[in-house]
Amino acid sequence: MKIQMSKYPGFIVLGALMAWGARTEAQDTVTAITHAKIMTVGPAGTIENGTILIKGGKITAVGASVTVPTGATIIDASGRVVTPGLIDAHSHTAVEDGVNECTNIVTAEVRVTDALDPRDISIYRQLAGGVTAANILHGSCNSIGGQNATIKMRWGVASGDALIFQGAPPGIKFALGENPKRSNFNVGTRRYPMTRMGVEVSIRNAFLEAKAYKKEWDDYEASSKAAAPPRTSRGSGKATTAPAPLPVAPRKNLQMEALKEILEGKRLVHAHSYRADEILMLIDVANEMGFKIATFQHVLEGYKVATEMAKHGAGGSTFSDWWAYKMEAYDAIPYNAAIMASHGVVVSLNSDSDELARRLYWEAAKTVRYGGVSEDEAFKMVTLNPAKQLWIDKWAGSIEVGKDADLAIFKSHPFAPDTRVEMTLVDGKVMFDRSKDVAARKGVAATLGGGGQ
Amino acid sequence: MRIDRYITVFACAALVFLMPRASSAADAPLVIAGARVVTVSGAVLENASIVIQDGRIAALGSGLAAPAGARIIDGRGKTVYPGLFDGLTTLGLVEVGQGAPGTVDTNETGDVNPHAKSWVALHPDSELLPVARAFGITTALSAPGGGLISGQSAVIRTVGDTMTGLTVKSAVAMHMRYPTGAPVIDFSQGIPNLEPKTFEQRVSERKKNQEKELLRLRGLLEEARAYGEGLASGLALKVDLPMEALALAASGRIPVVMRANAEADIKGAIKFANENKLKLIIAGGAEAWRCTDDLKKSDVAVLMGVDQLPTREADPYDAAYANAATLHKAGIRFAIVTDDASNSRNLPFEAAMAHAFGLSREAALRSITLSPAEIFGVSSSLGSIEAGKAATLIITNGDILDHRTSITNVIIDGREASLDNKHQRLYERYKARP
Repeated sequence: MKIQMSKYPGFIVLGALMAWGARTEAQDTVTAITHAKIMTVGPAGTIENGTILIKGGKITAVGASVTVPTGATIIDASGRVVTPGLIDAHSHTAVEDGVNECTNIVTAEVRVTDALDPRDISIYRQLAGGVTAANILHGSCNSIGGQNATIKMRWGVASGDALIFQGAPPGIKFALGENPKRSNFNVGTRRYPMTRMGVEVSIRNAFLEAKAYKKEWDDYEASSKAAAPPRTSRGSGKATTAPAPLPVAPRKNLQMEALKEILEGKRLVHAHSYRADEILMLIDVANEMGFKIATFQHVLEGYKVATEMAKHGAGGSTFSDWWAYKMEAYDAIPYNAAIMASHGVVVSLNSDSDELARRLYWEAAKTVRYGGVSEDEAFKMVTLNPAKQLWIDKWAGSIEVGKDADLAIFKSHPFAPDTRVEMTLVDGKVMFDRSKDVAARKGVAATLGGGGQ
Repeated sequence: MRIDRYITVFACAALVFLMPRASSAADAPLVIAGARVVTVSGAVLENASIVIQDGRIAALGSGLAAPAGARIIDGRGKTVYPGLFDGLTTLGLVEVGQGAPGTVDTNETGDVNPHAKSWVALHPDSELLPVARAFGITTALSAPGGGLISGQSAVIRTVGDTMTGLTVKSAVAMHMRYPTGAPVIDFSQGIPNLEPKTFEQRVSERKKNQEKELLRLRGLLEEARAYGEGLASGLALKVDLPMEALALAASGRIPVVMRANAEADIKGAIKFANENKLKLIIAGGAEAWRCTDDLKKSDVAVLMGVDQLPTREADPYDAAYANAATLHKAGIRFAIVTDDASNSRNLPFEAAMAHAFGLSREAALRSITLSPAEIFGVSSSLGSIEAGKAATLIITNGDILDHRTSITNVIIDGREASLDNKHQRLYERYKARP
């Protein structure tokens, strides 16, 4: 694979890797990926020998007979397979050591966006696994945890804010079962809840409070409209009615604000869960309180209650095959994704791990073995389906005109045992290029010792 | 029955231990006909047959006659591989890792447990064994962990009604941790009250601790060697179980598997093993690619994982993926292992990742079959498909390195093993739930 017309100055060491991301291309230049097998994951299906045009970070054309404009930067992908960038619906990348505000049962007020670290090397390593976007979640310490950040893997940007996926709706972490119970952690003082009963109570309690808070604000907003002082006409001779006293605004509460947004359908709930009983419990609480669960995360026993999940409209974001690492994972089966999908649940496969995130494409391949999911549906579980779950499918998850140019270029079919990612683009910019990476290793070795193999 | 038991007792006492699976002679012969056979030790045979009798591979090739009364497995369109061998696991010793300590028998308390033996604690009804088996893992090293000297491992088969039935070979290796000097913190005992220290202070303390620990380990080995020699020369020594057990490793009769990942630790372990005349195998070996000269010079084998993050921030992103290929190129013996129990079935996928990053397909497959068998001294019967070896095989509908492939048959010691497992049962039960 060769990039023509590119200008790579003599990078040194890690600066080289940083520089790729920071390098800004003129927004009006066109990049063309040519001679590629394109798995669009969209209505166009798989194009055996096609071209993708990129301009201003967006896909402007895709197809078998696309004319490449003169002057375009050409990425010749002969023999390669181009796919949408992979999306990880459960990640803690770029928030290391800042993931769990563990001190209260409800910490809806804290925000992952305040703790994003754009220099986390995991961003680059995941680009090398084809990942272009991720749902960065708060930890699972509390029944209602902090607010998430949907990010793009924009390696090289200077601030956490620059990682944010523009337009992605805000979300929040819920957690059920052993983790909020803290039953596997002897460290520190005991904290309510210690049972699944207590987990239920803590969520219901929080939402009863949030509903009261919302009513206060709704009432205030309604009355402030009504209390707009009437216009009096000077010299009319008539006495004007005394204006009603302006209502006093309720006190803002950051925790309640987040829950109010959930009740208003503006904030997506991502609920860490394992057992079937707690999945049903949360669906019941959500129905009672009047909110929706966007995704159940991990959801290892989702296969037991897939019908109920589908009815609620909740997605399922699961591990491919992890099991037995704790009691609530003892009934986990690798057929979980297949069963949930066949019952109408939108299913994604996530990593929850900086390591596993780098091989999500093979996680998807496992669902072919476990439950006979078709290859197309399997690959959706790491592309279009997580995009749907995060409400970013307008911009990501498939290769379609108008969507962001977030792309992975594989050596061969992403499920093949000899495949690897050769190049990854975010917003149309090359953020990972294996050939450049390998070439840069000599410099690293010279500077730091060790280096390339 | 009685004779069997005496034989077992004798074998344990003599510390020699290749245990054939009981009474496979009664089984009818089995023939896998018309399959692609990946022998690992030799060429790939197309459209070949395997004749299995008395638990062993009786014949292999084309144009073979099936013995009278043989059951035929149609191998057309199928591929036969040696059973997969996961060279470092806790299979049989752990059921649920967290939150159910009653099901965990991997780590004995205390620092020095050379007399802890994995094969006496194997749980034949562990749900993890049928899961590993159904996805191709027929053989595994079941090893204890923790402490400075963790105990002894066994090669097990993933089918058996008793711990004895599961055991292929006991006292395979002595497992240790190369002392790094880093403070060992047990968070289950609460958060330790760590004093703030400078980097230099920590480095110097660590170095001092390491010297102390190495001195201690050296002392233990010397004592064990003397104890063993005393016993051998007929001295009436007071019974000392740890010393008796450690003497096996100190005298070089069994290898020492030493956990080490960092470059300095791997090199330190090699130096220590040479000084103390230990037969060393490195477990972990994350930075083995930085130690190829040392590993090669001392002919040290490595048990390594593949699906791991680089150990240093500035390392190549694929350092762990390419580790195996680098060792292979340098002519170093290695096995790819999961170092796990519930995830053992992912063994071929770790080999696939090594393949994707430079290891040949043949070498990748060898690293999960014949190589571990050689490293643990069971290659006379396991690890490849050859006449005379144990008929421990798997049959697949495709490339075993490919995630999409299914395993259709598992044969262990000539007998077709059940593919039934907890996951399959729950799948059958819930897939059609309305």
